[in-house]
Amino acid sequence: MTEPIVKLENIKKYFPIRGGVFSRVVGNIKAVDDVSFVINKGETLGLVGESGCGKSTLGRTILKLLDPTGGRAFYKNNDIFKTDKQQLRHLRRELQIIFQDPFSSLNPRLNVGEIIGESLEIHGEVSGKEKQERVEYMLEVCGLAPHHHRRYPHEFSGGQRQRIGIARALTLNPDFVVADEPISSLDVSIQAQIVNLMEELQDTFGLTYLFISHDLSMVRHISNNVAVMYLGKVVEICGKNELYQNPLHPYTQALLSAVPIMDPDAKSKRIILKGDVPSPANPPPGCNFNPRCRYAEERCRQEEPELREISPGHQVSCHLVEKGVGKLD
Amino acid sequence: MSDLLQVKNLYTSFNTEDGVVPAVNGISFNLKHGESLGIVGESGCGKSVACLSIMRLIGHPGKVEADEIKLDGTELQALSEKKMRSMRGNDMAFIFQEPMTSLNPVYTIGFQLQEAIQLHQGLNKEQSQHKSIEMLEMVGIPRAEKVFSEYPHSLSGGMRQRAMIAMALSCEPKILFADEPTTALDVTIQAQILELMTDLRQRINTSIIFISHDLGVISEMVDRVIVMYCGIIIEDTDVRTLIKNPRHPYTIGLINSKPRIDVELERLEPISGSVPNPLNMPSGCPYHPRCESAMEICREKLPENHEIKDGHRVCCWLFSELGGKIKS
Repeated sequence: MTEPIVKLENIKKYFPIRGGVFSRVVGNIKAVDDVSFVINKGETLGLVGESGCGKSTLGRTILKLLDPTGGRAFYKNNDIFKTDKQQLRHLRRELQIIFQDPFSSLNPRLNVGEIIGESLEIHGEVSGKEKQERVEYMLEVCGLAPHHHRRYPHEFSGGQRQRIGIARALTLNPDFVVADEPISSLDVSIQAQIVNLMEELQDTFGLTYLFISHDLSMVRHISNNVAVMYLGKVVEICGKNELYQNPLHPYTQALLSAVPIMDPDAKSKRIILKGDVPSPANPPPGCNFNPRCRYAEERCRQEEPELREISPGHQVSCHLVEKGVGKLD
Repeated sequence: MSDLLQVKNLYTSFNTEDGVVPAVNGISFNLKHGESLGIVGESGCGKSVACLSIMRLIGHPGKVEADEIKLDGTELQALSEKKMRSMRGNDMAFIFQEPMTSLNPVYTIGFQLQEAIQLHQGLNKEQSQHKSIEMLEMVGIPRAEKVFSEYPHSLSGGMRQRAMIAMALSCEPKILFADEPTTALDVTIQAQILELMTDLRQRINTSIIFISHDLGVISEMVDRVIVMYCGIIIEDTDVRTLIKNPRHPYTIGLINSKPRIDVELERLEPISGSVPNPLNMPSGCPYHPRCESAMEICREKLPENHEIKDGHRVCCWLFSELGGKIKS
């Protein structure tokens, strides 16, 4: 069953840089630059990349929480960016988001019942006793006690708060959920609890996830497909086993090799990248990755590579893939 | 090899409005010359506080008590504040977690480096400047001479952490505390810093105490590991044994709950529940409410240390003569 549910076409999100006396736009930070991919129903797409590569911005732009600069995003057959306010509100029932920081994403002045039930009221779904039942059901599904609805966020630990965040996102029975680093602020033993919960909920409610994370091991665990972003662009996208066993882009190879392995016997063949990620306000000409790439050639410095399908379902944006970069060692 | 650092029964508590928070609850360990020791644990387990206590950097309302904190035979608790100050930076140095906040934003990198060198090594301005630039070059900062006169904000996170390492190593300390030095950094930058630290360790014979919550990083960086939970050491062994053959239920849980990049797992096995509130610690073993193998005695009495093999100690009743089996 591979029915596309979310389709992105050339999504762009630029943040203007203003300067001078009249605050004119003097440049753009290209946070997301020309990103296209498809997410299939019931699957999880893992979106990985280092901080500042635009993965969170992309997640928010898809849901129109940020105004897009260009491109089109489809949910089923609805063009998300073209909807008016009313239609968008209607669409939002189906499109939800789980935020990174469970400490700042819950209103401290509302109790848990109000936090979770708010959306039910806004969308005029149910109220009164039915709402109460729905809230208690959601709490239970997310592994909290139903009587917790009277408590306030500060009474909960980080892991529990993230459960509340998940319950809030799922009350309206959405189809598609953007999970923006849902586990990165949690302790290791709690991370596994939350990921298991997300997997169970996916089975129960038939959810589709866009799982944004910088934790490559966790992404391997939860995803069906993985997209790797670098400086606002997707550099590689394919099935997770293909990506972890046969990474083709030099950046993906370096990224995967950089993850410390919990095994004292493992001989690390680490590829150390030189330097830092360039500023997205002033990306290098040609391939974004060329200043740090150890294979870079003249062509990489001049011509921007396109995301191309190398083998079925495996897209890479690198001029040198055919030359078998990285296969040598 | 002789012991460089000896810590015996270290207790650190904080007197807060809500009550006394016992952050470190009686830990003892030794560190040999040239050894690298890892301290692993989740947030709030007392790993950072333990190291700050050793350096006597715990201020009001904290209270440190220990039977013994000896560095190279010198009892640190007995030293005057002045003497202690000359030891910090000189004999023991600290790399903090956040390179963003641990450098002073209003002084140049060079000034901050020179300050320590002049103070501890008695070099003059010119010599210390020379030495500072040398240190910056050693930690792999490009155009070190320019960076010397730049402010922290103009450096990236990875570069700032390099500058911190340069500062910590500038006086050739006997012991270096690295408190999650790569947690705030991206993986590719983390790889750079870890490689640098491994390389430097081979060049200068400094003992390292490496604090981290990431068992992957720990297994690459250290010889021996201490696992902490709620202020006590629950397991202490060499890194290979810890990863391959962990014995304490918490260590086993910690390892099982982490997905692996090199192995595909069907389902993660998380530890149930969460870390107890330090103001309201459970009786007996602090881990018993989350432990699947908990016995009657675990609820009543804090377990003793059991040396199950040479150099492998576990703080758990399951290894006493009472027996009991680890359920998994």
